[in-house]
Formats: sequence, structure tokens, C-alpha cells
Amino acid sequence: MAGMSSKRLQKELVKIQGTLPPGISLVSAPDLKEWQMDISVLDNPLYPPADKYRLRFTFSPSYPIEAPEVVFLAAPDRNIPMHPHIYSNGIICLDLLDSQGWSPVHNVESVCISIQSMLASNTKAERPPGDKEFVRSNRQRPRDINFLYHDPTV
Amino acid sequence: MSDSNSTGHSSLSPPPPGSRRSPSPGGTSVSTQIALRNMRRLEARRNMEENHYLTQKARNCNLNPPVDLRALDYVSKYDDNLVCPICRCPLVDPVLLMDCDHCFCRECIRQTWTTYSPLGPKGDCPTCRMPAKLGPRASTSKILVNILDDLVVKCPKSENGCKSEIKRGEVQDHITIYCGYAMVECKDSGCGQSVRRKDYDLGCLHYNVSCESCQQNMPKAELETHWQLQCPDRQVKCDLCSSLIYYRDREEHRKEACPAVNVPCPGAPLGCTNKSRRAHLDIHVKGCVLAKLGPVLDAQKQRMDEQESAHKLINRKLEILETGFTAMQDILSANRSGPPDNGSTETLIVPSRSRAESTATDSTRIASADDYDFPVPPSNRGSAIEPESPPTTNTTRSSTTPRTTATPRSLTSPPLRPAPQAPFPRPTDLPPPTTTDFDLASPFSTTAPGADGPYSSPLHHLLSMHESLRDEMARVSAALTELDGRHSMQILNENLRTRDEIAYLGGQVAGMGRQVHWLTSAQLQRQTPGGSAAAREVGTGASAGGGGAGGSVEGAVNAMSTAATALRGAARVVNVGGGQGSPTSPGMRRGVSEEGRTKL
Repeated sequence: MAGMSSKRLQKELVKIQGTLPPGISLVSAPDLKEWQMDISVLDNPLYPPADKYRLRFTFSPSYPIEAPEVVFLAAPDRNIPMHPHIYSNGIICLDLLDSQGWSPVHNVESVCISIQSMLASNTKAERPPGDKEFVRSNRQRPRDINFLYHDPTV
Repeated sequence: MSDSNSTGHSSLSPPPPGSRRSPSPGGTSVSTQIALRNMRRLEARRNMEENHYLTQKARNCNLNPPVDLRALDYVSKYDDNLVCPICRCPLVDPVLLMDCDHCFCRECIRQTWTTYSPLGPKGDCPTCRMPAKLGPRASTSKILVNILDDLVVKCPKSENGCKSEIKRGEVQDHITIYCGYAMVECKDSGCGQSVRRKDYDLGCLHYNVSCESCQQNMPKAELETHWQLQCPDRQVKCDLCSSLIYYRDREEHRKEACPAVNVPCPGAPLGCTNKSRRAHLDIHVKGCVLAKLGPVLDAQKQRMDEQESAHKLINRKLEILETGFTAMQDILSANRSGPPDNGSTETLIVPSRSRAESTATDSTRIASADDYDFPVPPSNRGSAIEPESPPTTNTTRSSTTPRTTATPRSLTSPPLRPAPQAPFPRPTDLPPPTTTDFDLASPFSTTAPGADGPYSSPLHHLLSMHESLRDEMARVSAALTELDGRHSMQILNENLRTRDEIAYLGGQVAGMGRQVHWLTSAQLQRQTPGGSAAAREVGTGASAGGGGAGGSVEGAVNAMSTAATALRGAARVVNVGGGQGSPTSPGMRRGVSEEGRTKL
């Protein structure tokens, strides 16, 4: 299992270091456990193309059978994008990243593209309802949270 | 088939009573058939169990676990369409999902489904999310399997040193039969440990040796692996510059020497963003202005730091001097406030800086400066002398230094002249901070360079001397008072003692007087009967009679002296008991002694 995970991540890394879609770039992949990617949204007035957003991927040993944990990171020059499905602590409410919606066919690149398109199709610069309450009280890992996926438009 | 099934069923279930009583002849043939089938089944199970046991044993005995074909490194190129979407490897035992025909490794899809549904191998297709399952004919055609098994891979033991590259379909055989780096049991059957197949013929290698370079102990069988993979003294190839280096030096090599590492330009702190390989750094440095400026700026920065620290030191010194200066000002102003009509000088000395700033009030300043330079003497004399007559003031004030009469004028005039020119002239007519520790031993040493030194006016010298004299006077007077008090105390103490002694003596004398009185009265009484005889004796021999009387008195005195010792104790008691009675004793004593003298 662990062998399969590292083998696949190595292959993905080689591919990512080669070519990536526009707006997506690899920041750091020090090991096969945690990677950081930068994405920028190219065609949405809510997100200027110059602004980049930092994503952190955390892989478990059973990747790709299990979904990686993907959150936005706040850094000195990186903000967490305003989106009705992204909490201000960086947790993303996206069915793709949940155990129900995850498929082992996905990879880092496809997840980045999904999040990029989720941002690109957004029209409301706002946080999810109850954002402050959630950010203050949440101690769970993102994968343990029972999100209710009610919005099929994204 | 259905027939035998029904009969078999009837034989297994409890038979009805009628059938037991009359078993039909055909029933025996059916029962033998059943027995045969059961035997066959039993045999099949036995075979299965035997096989299972054998495979288990083979797995236990085989020291090399079955090869995971998904973890292999592929040598030959393969088509992207032959890749499993889950493990991203060329498909291993590919299966087609029913209904959607997407293809995965059997193990991959099984893992995916069992991870999410405990119910068994069914679920949604990972690619298209359609409900899917593995049908009985899920395996793909033999052609695809053959293509995949023909891909050439590296031996899984390549990390241990096996250089062979084989077809994927033959990897398992290579490991279990041929690979020299796969583990087999040791030739020595009593050893029970494993050894690499190529070392099998060397005999038991499980004795301890130590590595020649790192002195680590290990079995001989592991020495070669250690030397190739673990020993810190082994030589490895740098993966960037492909030069041979010692493993233990590789970090250092990467940091210091490797010519293929990208290093920043030496002018990076100055803003040069260029990064080039170490080998090509010289070329960049030759053209980079920032790199050339680097050392110069560094030297300048160092010098600036030095200057800054020196500046700080000077600042601190200045602060100390300024505090001393203000203390000096306070002393001076306190000194000035002493003379009665000296308000102008006070306002002059204390706000000296504000005076220096206001250049407009030049005339008043000159007048006040005159006042300051020649301070008004005490009122009894100053009333007679005008403040505008400096020489007389000065002579009256300090006749001891004839030099100072001339110097104040010459010294006060220079600060008045440059004042309008310089915006912030340090008030030169004020005492310097150095005069706080004025040297009393050589009080006029400052007047010698005073001609050019702006702070060494003899007036200030005199003032400070005056101040110090006053201090000394105060000290002397305090000492005198103390001495006076001590003396009076001492005298009082001694007085008390003497008085006590006198009282004691008085008591003694009084006792003695009383005794003498008693004795004389007794003598007189004794003489009264023989008064005529005594009268007679007066006529005959006054000296003899006097002598006889004197002898009797002497005897009485002797007796008295013996009694005196006893009396002394009594007197002491009296003295202690009634101390207050002592003042009256002198009068009493005098009275007694006079009485005694008259009696005698």
C-alpha cells in the first residue's frame, strides 16, 4: 500500500515538474507527504490574475485510494480566497475532497484544476454561513467533517 | 440431475416412518451414488486443503515475498493507454468493469472498493462513477496480458545490486529461482538464517566481522551490502556533477564544492537576483556590478558600525558631562541666592541657555552680564557701592587676589562679542563641568591658562573657594558642637561621682562627731566629781593635767577608731538608703564639727 502511494506520487511529481496547466504551479514538494501548490484564477473579476493562492496537499499512506487533505494556506503574500464554500481558516467544502466524492482516478493536478474552476465560476465574494463559528470551534481534520453538499452549481 | 437432487434431499431429511419400514430396492443405488459423491467431495476438499497447506508452506519457506508488479521500475517504454488510472502503472492482471468497460488492475479496483464498502467487491466505477461490478468474464483478453507481460523491468533487487533486466511476466520466477540477490536459507542447516543466493556456496557466513573503514561489527554475509549501501566511507557518485565523493562528505560537497549546484551571486544582499552554477559563477561575477561593489560596501558598513558605536560612547559621555554641568549650575545658583540683593544674577545663571538663544536682548544682557561678573557684595557694604563700579566691588570682595581685578573684564567681554554671530553659542561665561571637582590644593592653577580658557575665571575660582570654605566652616562648627556636648556630659558624670563620695565622707564624719561628743560628755561627767582636784591641778601643773586629759582623750579616740569601721558600714547603708539626704549633710556636718571643735 505504502509502496503504491509513494510510487504513484513520484510519478505525479515527475509529471508536475514537467508541464502544468496555466495558473497552477508547484511551490514545494520536500517529501512524499506534503506538497504545496499555488493557483491563480485567470478569468474571474473577483480574483485578480496576479493574486495567487497557496494550497497544501497532505497525503496519507493509502493515497490514492484515500483522498488527500487539501486546504488553503494563509501566508504573508497569500490570502485565502473569498468563496461561499471556503472557510476563512482555509478548509474547502468540496465533495471531491471527501471520502464520498473522491475517486482514486483523481490526482493533484486534477484537484487543482477542480478548485481553480470552482473559484473561476464564483460570483459571490463572501464566506460560508456560520464561518466565524466554524473557524472558532472546529478542531477536526477536514476529512472528518460531515459536510452537506447542497450546491450542485459548483 | 433433478431426480438425484430430490432423493438426496429426502435421504438427508428425517425419512417418514413408512419409508423406513419398506426401503425400496432403488433406494440403495441412490444411496451409493450419494456416498460416492460425498467421497468425491471429501477428496476435493482434501486436495484443496493440501494445496492450501502447500502454498502456505511455500510462502513461509520462501524468504522472498511475492513481487508486487506495481512497484517495479520499467525499462521499456509503454503506451499511456496501458496505464491503470489508479496506480498509474502498466496494468497488472487487468479487469474490465461490467457495463462501463473501464479497465483497472484487479488489485487496484479491489482495494478501492473494499476500502469504501465493506460489502465486497462492488461499487462505482472510479472513472465514470457508474454503478459497476466485476463480472465472471472480467479478465481481459490474453493479447493484452501478453503485451503487458512482455514489458521489460528492472529486477526488484536492483537496489541490492542485481543488474538483470527481465520481462515482467518472468519477474516472479527470476526472484524465486535465479536472482543472486534473493534470499535463500543458509547452507548450514543448523544456522537457520538466510543468505543471498549467490553466496550460498560459500558456506555459512554468519560470523561477525568488522568493516575495515568504519569498524562496525556485522555478520560476514552483510558486509558487502554494508560496503555498498551503508558505510559512511563508501564512494558514491554525486547525482548533480557525477563526480565520485565519499558518502560522508556529500552534504559538504553539495554546499561547498559541487560545481553543478546553483548558487546565488555574491551581490545577492545588494539585490542581484542572478543564480548560476558554481562553475559558471566567475563569469557572472566578472560582469556583475553588485558583486564587485559587495566588498566595498561591506567595508563601509563595518566602518559605519564602528563609527556608530563610537558615537554612542561619546553621547553617553556627553550626557554624564551635562548632568555634572547642571549639578554645577544648581550649586552656583544656590550660592548666588545667598546675597540679599542679587536677583539679577540668579536669573542670569540658571536660564543661561535661553539667554544665549535670544539674541534680541543684547543690551540687557550686557548689563546683566556686568552684574553677574561682579556680584553684588553683602548689603552692609554693597549699599555704599554702586553696581556699576566693578573694580571697587571686586577689591572689596576679594582683596587677596589682585590679579582677579583685571581678569573679569577681559574674560567676560569675549562671550558677548561672538554671541550674535553663532546661533547656538555655548555660554562661555558659565563654569565648565570640570570645575565641579575643583582642586583645593592648587586653587590658582586654573587662573594660569585662564587667559585663553573661557571657563577659568578667577571669580569662579573664588566662588568655589568660598563655597568650600563655607562647607568646612559648617563641618568645624558641627564638630565643635559635638565636642562641647561630649565634654559637658563627661563633666556631669565625674561631678556625680565626686558628690557621692563627699556625701559618704560627710556621713562618716557625722558619726565620728557623735562619738566624740559622747566620749567628751562621759569624760566631763567623770571629771565633775573631782572638779576641785582638777582645779587644784590647774594651779600645780597645767601641763601634767593637760597631759592626763590628753591621754584620756587619746584613748577615747583610739576606741573611736575601732568603732569607726563598724560605723562606716552603717554610714554606707545610710548613704545608699537616703541619697537625698546628702545635700543636707554638709550643713549638719559643719554644725557637728564646730560643736565638736568647741567641745574639744
